[in-house]
Amino acid sequence: MPFDTGKPEMSVEEFRLLRDFVYGHCGILVRDDMKFVMQRRLWPRLEVLGLTDFSSYYRYLRFDAQRRAELETAIEALTTHETYFFREPRQLKAFSEEVLPRLERRNARTKRLRIWSAGCSSGEEAYTVAMLLKDSGRFDGWDVEVHGTDISRRVLAVARQGEYGPSALRATAPDKIARYFDHVGPTRVRVRDDIRAWVSFGHQNLQDPEAGLLVSRMDAVFCRNVMIYFDTPARQRVLRHIYDKMVPGGYLLLGHSENLINLSADFELVHLRSDLVYRKPELGGGLAP
Amino acid sequence: MIEEGRNAEEARYRALLELDVSSPGAREELVAGLHDESWRVRRAAAEGLTRLPEREAVVERLVSVLGERDETGARNAAAESLAAMGEQAVGPLVRLLVHADPDQRKFAADILGQLGRLEAEDALVRAMVEDGDLNVRVAAAEALGRMGGRVAARALERILHDPEPLLQLSALESLAALRHPPPLPEVVRLLANPTLKRSAYRVLGLIPQLAATELVCRGLGSESRSTREAALVALGTQALLSESTQRSEMDAAVRLALRRLPRAGEWVAAALLSEDGELRAGALVAAAALREPRLAPLVAEVAQEERLMPEVVRTLSYFGPEAGRELLASMDRFSFPAREVAGQALVEMVDATYVPELVQMLEWGELDLKMVAVQALGRTRSLDAVEPLARLLSQSELCALAARALVSLAASFPARVLQVLEDALTHGAEPAVLNALVRVGGTGMLPLVRRTAREASVPLRATAVEVLAVVDPAGGLEMARLALADEATRVRVAAVRVLGQLGDASMAGLLKRALGDEALEVQLAALDAVGECGAVERAAELEALVQHPDGAIAFRAVQSLARLGALRDEVLRRAVTHGDHEVVKAALLAGAVSAEGVSLAVELLGHPSWDVRAAAARVLGDSGGPACLPATRAALEAEMDSLARRALEDAVDRLSGR
Repeated sequence: MPFDTGKPEMSVEEFRLLRDFVYGHCGILVRDDMKFVMQRRLWPRLEVLGLTDFSSYYRYLRFDAQRRAELETAIEALTTHETYFFREPRQLKAFSEEVLPRLERRNARTKRLRIWSAGCSSGEEAYTVAMLLKDSGRFDGWDVEVHGTDISRRVLAVARQGEYGPSALRATAPDKIARYFDHVGPTRVRVRDDIRAWVSFGHQNLQDPEAGLLVSRMDAVFCRNVMIYFDTPARQRVLRHIYDKMVPGGYLLLGHSENLINLSADFELVHLRSDLVYRKPELGGGLAP
Repeated sequence: MIEEGRNAEEARYRALLELDVSSPGAREELVAGLHDESWRVRRAAAEGLTRLPEREAVVERLVSVLGERDETGARNAAAESLAAMGEQAVGPLVRLLVHADPDQRKFAADILGQLGRLEAEDALVRAMVEDGDLNVRVAAAEALGRMGGRVAARALERILHDPEPLLQLSALESLAALRHPPPLPEVVRLLANPTLKRSAYRVLGLIPQLAATELVCRGLGSESRSTREAALVALGTQALLSESTQRSEMDAAVRLALRRLPRAGEWVAAALLSEDGELRAGALVAAAALREPRLAPLVAEVAQEERLMPEVVRTLSYFGPEAGRELLASMDRFSFPAREVAGQALVEMVDATYVPELVQMLEWGELDLKMVAVQALGRTRSLDAVEPLARLLSQSELCALAARALVSLAASFPARVLQVLEDALTHGAEPAVLNALVRVGGTGMLPLVRRTAREASVPLRATAVEVLAVVDPAGGLEMARLALADEATRVRVAAVRVLGQLGDASMAGLLKRALGDEALEVQLAALDAVGECGAVERAAELEALVQHPDGAIAFRAVQSLARLGALRDEVLRRAVTHGDHEVVKAALLAGAVSAEGVSLAVELLGHPSWDVRAAAARVLGDSGGPACLPATRAALEAEMDSLARRALEDAVDRLSGR
């Protein structure tokens, strides 16, 4: 028997209006084949707000006194927050074994390191990076900051709390769990304080150029599986924004299925032993318009 | 690359980015860039060439670079640039299709494929059929697969009879890309060819007919894993294309076929774990046919590919309660999308025996998992679920959901639920508890609601005002009058809402005060309420607001005037000039029945927003007369947007029939 009987269907027109509205706000593109997903994720909102159809929901987002808060809730519902510790190990190996030694050499004088986890969701990636820094033993005594940002305030609250269950740990080796987590329940762990001390979190819409002012110049940026939500112009805006926030020679790490083909040639491709990464070229100067 | 070399590369890259494309010599400088050793510089040059004026000359120059046999990087960059040139590149590339050098003819076919312009269709068909070089013919066949025309599809079908297998393969793949299957007997013939089998199954999947499903099912029984997988892929495609009526026949055929295969569960499980999304799509159809509970967690994980989520939900809906238990056991290890679908499936499958596991799930940290447990507990119809839910009424994140779950349980245990809700309210619970209490207890709760409306916290006071109105309209109206003077905005908003819902035109005086309230929320609620309760006296104030720059105010003003039946033609005309398209649509809808509204709809067929044009077309379809037909037809001819076109087509049909 079908599960969704009795719930309002989203018409193609309602889908387009909602999709365009969300895109206009934050550049997140809900593809045409995602109507079903959008409908399912917004059904609970209709129920909570006592609305009977998606046209009413669209008008609620446009005109209600609570529209700003609701738009944030809608965006949270529409973006999945699939992440876990030590995701994409090959890239992390390349980062640990090849990128970090280079960053250590580059910044030896200042002993300062800044890493940005853009679209950090509930924090697993940012903490993973901090664990890799700690593992390397290269940055003890340095001024280190791993800064995680996300558009969803709800996931940021989880990130700050730093407590996770088995799903988040599904790719974490037992020795790492022992080293970097405290058990807070039969199956739940909490990231240890020495790691948390290096990690901070903040709210950021990557499409909002003003929001970039909050982030300082970064030595490396993880922006993995974030650009899948954007169309080409929005991706180009995000990349320009990231480029501006990176030090010359800084590294950009994308998700394993992502690349910059047809998006940007501002970054150079660096062939490392275990993976390919991008780098902002050394020669200074801003981007051409 | 040594530092010096890298800096030099960056300098060349920057120089090309900053090059003034209108300067003399820019073209040759960019062409030189196409020959650079660095891909970044070549990319910048290719992109720069697309910005040059005199595009015709640029295209010819790029075509000449394609002829430089030893310059692979430059040729590829030139091809990239040509592919971005649009229609101006078509003519020169079509001419290049008959060049003496087959290498250049192949380049031309490849680029034309990327351009995807129908003007090149005939030339590519000729190249595919007549060219003397196999590589060129294959490139042309592949290019036609990106083109989408009927001529291309028919030509590709004919090529399926070509003796050259590579060409047959390209034709099959292109037909699959065009989603244009050849007739079924043609596909049957090709299924027997080992080289073509996989592609033949791909196009077979495009035929949502039972005969095709039966052929696919034969493939499922094959000894060869690759054939089985190709058949599964076809099954996935068929499922996506099938109408729901065809789907049950298809499922029955698959079920019958899989029952005969002893190890089907094993290889379906393997396919569900595959990296190949098309294979996973087919595996979902097979899993739905098998209905083995142990497959349920694997099925849920397929939801990581969001495109497949509808099929995942559909598949899980076939599984029975045992699958629910399997899902429950895996919930805390699932990926986020898997949890999302598994959660709903679990809620749907739940029964009283799940309570202990669900209560344990409430101890897990993740909010989304707790929410699933709460919803599921509400559906267990078990008295054992009441206490654990009652404990959640003091948690702000889960209170509303828990209260709703308790309302569901109240169908079986009203007295017990009422008691826990009352207890929670006395301990300072959230508004949702008060709401639930009234839904369960009805008028018996009136004294408690009245007391709450006078004394409690702001959110509770506001809720009490609205809830009271539901169970005791007269008392609710009286309470709402008093609440209009409440110091809290939220309470005043609740009061205005009640006045709108229960009041009549005599509320006009009270609503005047609310329209002038210091808080925007109260003003917005008052704008709605004026229309709802028929306070015509306030129409003049609303008329002044239809052009308010804040769309929220203008929209409500238009809607309320329409509800009052007081939207004068002059005001309607002002409203449709608003910058916010929702205000324009509200006005269009409000004026739909008037002659002025119909005349405005004709004008709005040229509005910049597609949704306004579609709304105008609907108004004309509903209310227009034959005089509107020429304008509607003209708009249809000019319309580029698919949804607006659909509305216009419908309007033309309806107007033509009048």
